[in-house]
Amino acid sequence: MTSRALSQGRVGGGPRPELRALPLAIVLAAAALVVSSARSPSRLEPELSWAPPSWAHPLGCGEGGVDLLALVAHASLRAVLLAACVALVGFVVGCPLGAGAAVRRGRFERGVARACDLVQAFPTFLLALVVLSAVRSPSRVHLGLVFVLTAWAPFARLALAQTRVLRDQAFVEAARAIGVTPARVVLRHLVPNLLGVVAVQLGAAAAAVVVSEAALSFVGFGARDGVSLGVVLDQGVSAMLRAPHVLLVGAAAVFVTSVSLMAAGRAFDPTFARRPRRK
Amino acid sequence: MSRGGRSDAPPGGRGGERRAAATRVAAVVVGRAGEAALVVLALATLVFLALRLLPGDPAALVLGDQSSEEERALLRGKLHLDEPMWLQYARFVRGLATLDLGESVRRPGSPALDRVLDAVGPTASLASLAVLLGAAIGISAAVLGAGPWLGRRRGWVDRAATALAATPLLAFAPVLTFALAARLRVVPLPGDPEAGAGGLLFASGLLALPLAAHVARVSRAALDDVARAQFLGVARAKGGSNARVLWIHALPASIGPIVTVVGTQLGALLGGAVVLERLFERRGLGTLILEAYASRDLPVLEAAVVFSGALFVGAQQLAAAIHAAVDPRVRR
Repeated sequence: MTSRALSQGRVGGGPRPELRALPLAIVLAAAALVVSSARSPSRLEPELSWAPPSWAHPLGCGEGGVDLLALVAHASLRAVLLAACVALVGFVVGCPLGAGAAVRRGRFERGVARACDLVQAFPTFLLALVVLSAVRSPSRVHLGLVFVLTAWAPFARLALAQTRVLRDQAFVEAARAIGVTPARVVLRHLVPNLLGVVAVQLGAAAAAVVVSEAALSFVGFGARDGVSLGVVLDQGVSAMLRAPHVLLVGAAAVFVTSVSLMAAGRAFDPTFARRPRRK
Repeated sequence: MSRGGRSDAPPGGRGGERRAAATRVAAVVVGRAGEAALVVLALATLVFLALRLLPGDPAALVLGDQSSEEERALLRGKLHLDEPMWLQYARFVRGLATLDLGESVRRPGSPALDRVLDAVGPTASLASLAVLLGAAIGISAAVLGAGPWLGRRRGWVDRAATALAATPLLAFAPVLTFALAARLRVVPLPGDPEAGAGGLLFASGLLALPLAAHVARVSRAALDDVARAQFLGVARAKGGSNARVLWIHALPASIGPIVTVVGTQLGALLGGAVVLERLFERRGLGTLILEAYASRDLPVLEAAVVFSGALFVGAQQLAAAIHAAVDPRVRR
């Protein structure tokens, strides 16, 4: 039901072609800034604390005079890398699991569907709190592990629903009839046909990870290095009256990063959906 | 609601029928309660294992690196960390069953559960107000989008809902707070101790917006699903106005997906509540968890996490029960 609602909610078809390059451009710009190391998020200039945007610091400065452009670029690049890893692991685990469950049918299928329901509705936030509270100094690896714990479920559910449609089609039956093993049917014949639908979910999952990571570090559960979009927001909220630009920069960075990841996922969708893969 | 369902009641005596219905309801209630208890137990076990199996000494986590070995041993004895694992687990499960989750390490003498119960009220009022607001706004938007009142501008409702659903709470909540509280001064500033009802209403309104967007999209899809149903044609033929047809006839038939989407959004709602409590410096479960985490007050942290998990599962089962109660097609 939810997936249908999603597809109906997409108004106006796919994104315009020029928009597809936007996420890539943003990531490349952030990467260029990080690699050139012209600005560092760890260099503090106390005399520039909460300085508004200027030519030397295009996004202004935050607490202790940290250059916001550097902080945002480093933070969003790390968040995007983390999100990409989590989404890929979720995809690699969830897709074959869901497709395999739909092929096996019976009790296994019901069990996987039920597990997906439970895990997907589970508050990731609580899970993250549990795991992170037991670690002395949380790092991005811990955050990634926490997100992977729940990231597979939407992929498995999508693959399950889609495979239920595909499993009775002629090409699957033909593959089975010539003696292809079930595992090979899933990996070679079913998963490639799921890619279009799942690409959208890849983008959505990555965007969700970016937002969760920022939210966790906003409330004080983030990685100890303090380079996160949530930290920018945290500084912005505490200096809301003195230096509103910090808050606006942080909110805009979270928004742009998550929306461009979502757009990146959608950009893949129509190309796959329009020209079904034959195998 | 019987319009959508079939009315093929089996023949038989009235009393037998009623008794059968009662046993069926009882079975459903017991099944749901059992499932909820299992989920809570799984979460609690995860909490238990995370604190004991992950590398690092919990006593050192609590007391810090400078603590002496005697102090740590004392605390280990107090938290029963020196016992064998199965005994610790048995004690933990018994504590869950008897609602005795130990004492706060930081405030000796105050049971962890008391501190959690103190914090539940504000969070529960925030979340339930948000659910009510979100459902009301979302359903109204969907009806507005499905009805003929807006003419060609109906697409705007869809587009607004899509845009809002894609915008993270973390991005728009601080900006709206800045605009409305710091600039326009129409709502209390974050951390204002005299915020009162206005502060609660604003916070839950923020929390309700993403929920409203999801509800609007799903209920719009559900309304479109039943749009061609015969009973709507009958209602229209009887002379019902557009508003009457939509609100009285179409909406009850599509309430199932709406309740389901509220249920699936509860987890996000809980995370959002923690963020908003931090943003507005409101007292609540979220702030308690953050406080317990920062001060490494493990019993309070365990109790708070297990309790919020239980609240969450309870609310979700409630959503499923409401779905089953209003829609005869889901009942088995």
